[in-house]
Amino acid sequence: MMLAGCRVLDLTTERGLLCGQILADLGADVIKIEPPGGSPVRAMPPFFKDEPGPERSIYWWSYNRNKRGVTLNLDTDEGRAILRRLAAKADFVLESDNPGDLGRRGLAYSDLREHNPAIVYVSITPFGQDGPKATYADSDLIIMAAGGTLILYGDEDRAPIRMSVPQAYLHACVDAAAAALIAYYARLDAGLGQHVDVAAQESVGLAAQSTPLAAPIRGAETRRMAGGAKMGPIRIPLVWQAKDGQVSCVFLFGTALGPFTVKLMDYIYAQGECDKASHDKDWIAFGDLLLTGKEPMSEYERMKGVVAAFMLKRTKAELFEIARENNLLIAPVATIDDVLQNPQFIAREYWQRVENQAADGSIRYPGPFARFGATPITFRRRPPAVGEHNREIFGGELGMSDRELAELARKRII
Amino acid sequence: MAQLPLKDVKILDFMWVLAGPGITRMLADYGATVVRIESVQRTDPTRTVGPFQDNKTDPEYSALFGNNNAGKYSITLDLSKPRAREVILDLVRWADAVCEAFSPKAMRAWGFDYESLRKIKPDIIMLSTCLMGQTGPLSRFAGFGNLAAALCGFYNLVGWPDRPPSGPFSAYTDYIAPRFGAVALMAALIHRKRTGQGQYIDQAQAESALHFLTLPLLDCQANGRKYAPVANYDAYHAPHGVYRAAGDDRWVAIACRTEDHWRALCAAMQRRELADDPRFKTFDLRQVNRAELDSIIGEWSNGHDSHETERTLQAAGVPAHAVQTSDDMWKDPQLHHRDHYVQVPHERMGQTYVENSRFRLLATPARVERAAPMLGQYNDFVLQQILGYDEDRISELVVDGVLG
Repeated sequence: MMLAGCRVLDLTTERGLLCGQILADLGADVIKIEPPGGSPVRAMPPFFKDEPGPERSIYWWSYNRNKRGVTLNLDTDEGRAILRRLAAKADFVLESDNPGDLGRRGLAYSDLREHNPAIVYVSITPFGQDGPKATYADSDLIIMAAGGTLILYGDEDRAPIRMSVPQAYLHACVDAAAAALIAYYARLDAGLGQHVDVAAQESVGLAAQSTPLAAPIRGAETRRMAGGAKMGPIRIPLVWQAKDGQVSCVFLFGTALGPFTVKLMDYIYAQGECDKASHDKDWIAFGDLLLTGKEPMSEYERMKGVVAAFMLKRTKAELFEIARENNLLIAPVATIDDVLQNPQFIAREYWQRVENQAADGSIRYPGPFARFGATPITFRRRPPAVGEHNREIFGGELGMSDRELAELARKRII
Repeated sequence: MAQLPLKDVKILDFMWVLAGPGITRMLADYGATVVRIESVQRTDPTRTVGPFQDNKTDPEYSALFGNNNAGKYSITLDLSKPRAREVILDLVRWADAVCEAFSPKAMRAWGFDYESLRKIKPDIIMLSTCLMGQTGPLSRFAGFGNLAAALCGFYNLVGWPDRPPSGPFSAYTDYIAPRFGAVALMAALIHRKRTGQGQYIDQAQAESALHFLTLPLLDCQANGRKYAPVANYDAYHAPHGVYRAAGDDRWVAIACRTEDHWRALCAAMQRRELADDPRFKTFDLRQVNRAELDSIIGEWSNGHDSHETERTLQAAGVPAHAVQTSDDMWKDPQLHHRDHYVQVPHERMGQTYVENSRFRLLATPARVERAAPMLGQYNDFVLQQILGYDEDRISELVVDGVLG
């Protein structure tokens, strides 16, 4: 395993769980630190079979695989002392509290560095460690608004809308994992760790596809449009109605994208579903023709109507088949059920079954995010139960006796 | 100044469009030397997509290409010419990692597949990234990230309940996959540095992106729950929405998670009585009566500037933010505090802007100093400085049309 021998202390809240899971997938020994009684994430619905319980939280299951788990009360001096002992030997600390929260408990980067200058300390926050908005209250929706993506989502005649499954901190978590590994790579030579500051606002900005740069470079702004986007004056559709649902299709022009439109129009023409003049349009130059007025915008709208009629006559499956045979840019808009049935993921044995306390092994989890030839990602451990590894880690590693552990439990420190 | 973490890392980059080049941009920010192979005949599609500086639709003026490729070198090669192969193989000998983002089989057709490259350089790392992966019935299905996003289920999660889904903006998996690709590449570089072993990595962009849908995937299996567009409804927040602000297409996002948030919102709206209104006095009632509540909030917010509402509500501890346009982002004091926008010199445009690294390594911050390469701009640099070719050899390549 690539990160074999690396120790990670995962102090994150619901914001940061995926970061540690990525490092765990890569082979690091990730210890999830929860407050006594378990992480508040365990109380968040949905639950397995919709019955609440700390070992039934689907959110918990989603992002804690391959980690070990201990409980530790960081609001007590004794709890913090134990954490410092663990941190003295750890390679990474991951945290996602608001800026300064851990510092007030003596667990800031500057505190832990004293005993372990090699530590890579990763902070995931809404807006970063400092600055005028560092203390802003946040949520997934707020980050999307601040990051420049929300204005691009939804229908132009209504308010912007977000993706209904929260995404903001997932973007930040993968950035955090990449940043942690870059810092670790530097440490292999220099021996010194550092503090890594990840702001979700900037992370989600990647999903705006560089459109936030329009202002400084004096370019055309991009705005939302039902099933597509408005880039300057051009209305680009991406969702089309098929006979039994929707498909996504790129219908654009230029030297790179135009050739796909040529192929699509070839096919539509061959089916007798457009006239020769429509087929023969210069799809490579079409964008420039629109912008210079040589083709009126109404012609683009009319051609979109031709394509729309073509799509509406066929099912999603038929259109996907046509796309695959003719190298066209069409794919069905899948439901979550469809994703689980997709033959590609099944053929690649992507789905991984993980047994856990409540469920048998029938639930399939997303598998490796990449396939490594020499050091494949494996699913070694189900998500930990509350305090499952207390004895293993506090006893086995820190040498505490069962009596000491019982005393810590009595004082609600573990 | 501290040395950049990846100063010794050398990457030969065959990637194009969005998902691939996003990976190497992340590494270039931290010192990796990245040499892109570009084709004059088949230019990178992102060179044809805006926003364009000063609205000039010129392949060197695309901020999309510029942002994704800042800090890299490139060489234009016509891979159909046999002598281009020599240049590539010399670059393979130079590189620690080779990255490519073509559809499967393209690299094999050129003889640049992993098995071939490994014979030349046994410890090479090779990363292939494509929509659906190198194997399986859909491996040949190539295209853009909007297609993978549709197949992964993302499109069906954005929309209004009374309309067909509107889908996420553009090519959603292209904004997830580069980060996982960078993680994979960094992990392989760490492994190689510790053990001397290279390896092949197959990244299916869809398989990376599905990690952002783990929750609905598990919930669907465990509870049979269906996920369909719900606009801005959220199970943990009420009220939760995007409300009209003063001005044309101006909006403010507000999300109340706690009772304190809700009461503070009522106070800020100078509508304290709403907190005890029988329609809204509990979280569940606010969910049930959210249409009514949303219209009350919208009437209030419509009279105010979105930034003013943001400041008022944040001062009261309520999660709120203006829905930022490009112009708002450019003026955002937080983004400026973090040096989010970086001005870099450009041979044709004079100056241009790119976005900074999206995270901060506080001891070894990213250094973003060079704009993306123009077509052919670094041909001589790559051939002379990196490969050590002499003038005669370079002249031969020019005459043979290899650099076309």
